[in-house]
Amino acid sequence: MGLKASRPGLAGHDDPAAAALPTRAAAGDQGAWDEIVERYAPMVWSICTRFRLSDRELEDVAQNVWLQLVEQLAKPPEPAALAGWLAAATRRECRRVVTAARGPEPPGTHPDAVPAADDAVIGEEIITAERHAALRAALAELPAPCQPLIGMLVSDPPHSDAAISTALGIPAESIGPRLARCLERMRESSALLGLAEAGANRPGGDPGA
Amino acid sequence: MRNGWDDEELLAELRAAMRARRAVPSWFVETGKSAYAWHNIDAELAQLTYDSQTDADRVAAVRSENASIRALTFTSAHLSIELEVAGDSLLGQVIPPQAGTLEARTKTAVTTSPVDEAGFFALEPIPSSPFQLRFRATDGAYVMTGWITL
Repeated sequence: MGLKASRPGLAGHDDPAAAALPTRAAAGDQGAWDEIVERYAPMVWSICTRFRLSDRELEDVAQNVWLQLVEQLAKPPEPAALAGWLAAATRRECRRVVTAARGPEPPGTHPDAVPAADDAVIGEEIITAERHAALRAALAELPAPCQPLIGMLVSDPPHSDAAISTALGIPAESIGPRLARCLERMRESSALLGLAEAGANRPGGDPGA
Repeated sequence: MRNGWDDEELLAELRAAMRARRAVPSWFVETGKSAYAWHNIDAELAQLTYDSQTDADRVAAVRSENASIRALTFTSAHLSIELEVAGDSLLGQVIPPQAGTLEARTKTAVTTSPVDEAGFFALEPIPSSPFQLRFRATDGAYVMTGWITL
């Protein structure tokens, strides 16, 4: 894996469906744009929560970040760099509204000083966001019988086997084998294979583990 | 090593991925989706390049004279729009000076103001909700700002 795996933010870039989204959005496909937003809104949100913004400030940030990406669509960031681009734009916009609301930092303070939003933390956010986006995409690609089964198992809190058996009309003892088959299919999905290629399919996102 | 996750790990990762998605309010996602309405509008985006409230160095430099005046500058490749809050009005100038039309757009309303040949314009009252400015010069140049909250 070496070099490729050691570079953060590359996870997911081998999934051709995800890689095609910016080009499709640039060509006028609102659905592709919506998918980009669905993929990365959790990351934008997660970075914003580090800045303790009001709802109005959050909306301001979201509008400006996505507007900047729309503006970039004629020449969008490389698919592999999209998450990093969005993370940088989000942090910049969050800092802007924080400073606008609270006034400039006292003299001597680094103007970008938000301890919970340094480069390492943002790097982790990007890797996690790509991993989560690939996982959600893989789940969405699964055939119909798998989706409710896994959906109930990963809900918060998870449903019991008995509840799943009743809701889906399948014998409780078949849940395990069915789940194993569904997860196996999931591993074969282009979204997760792309993740494996990039070496990011590790809990905690440590590519070198 | 085709895959790094066993079943339990994969389920745990899925759980975390779905939790991260559920944490995002739907309005936040919708804001992102609706930004696409701006796609292919032939306007150039002018970025905020100066804000008297955030630009600490500049504030320090001018503090003695006019620390209380809020001033903003938006810059695109071809022109800048300077704004200054003056009481209930927002005064502005397009640089280099040129005539045209300025629109202030909130989510629900659009107000239009003329821009004279010296590039000056006035918006009154100042929009109370976030707004964008769009300037169309008489020569056809078209520039819009990001969202502004005053």
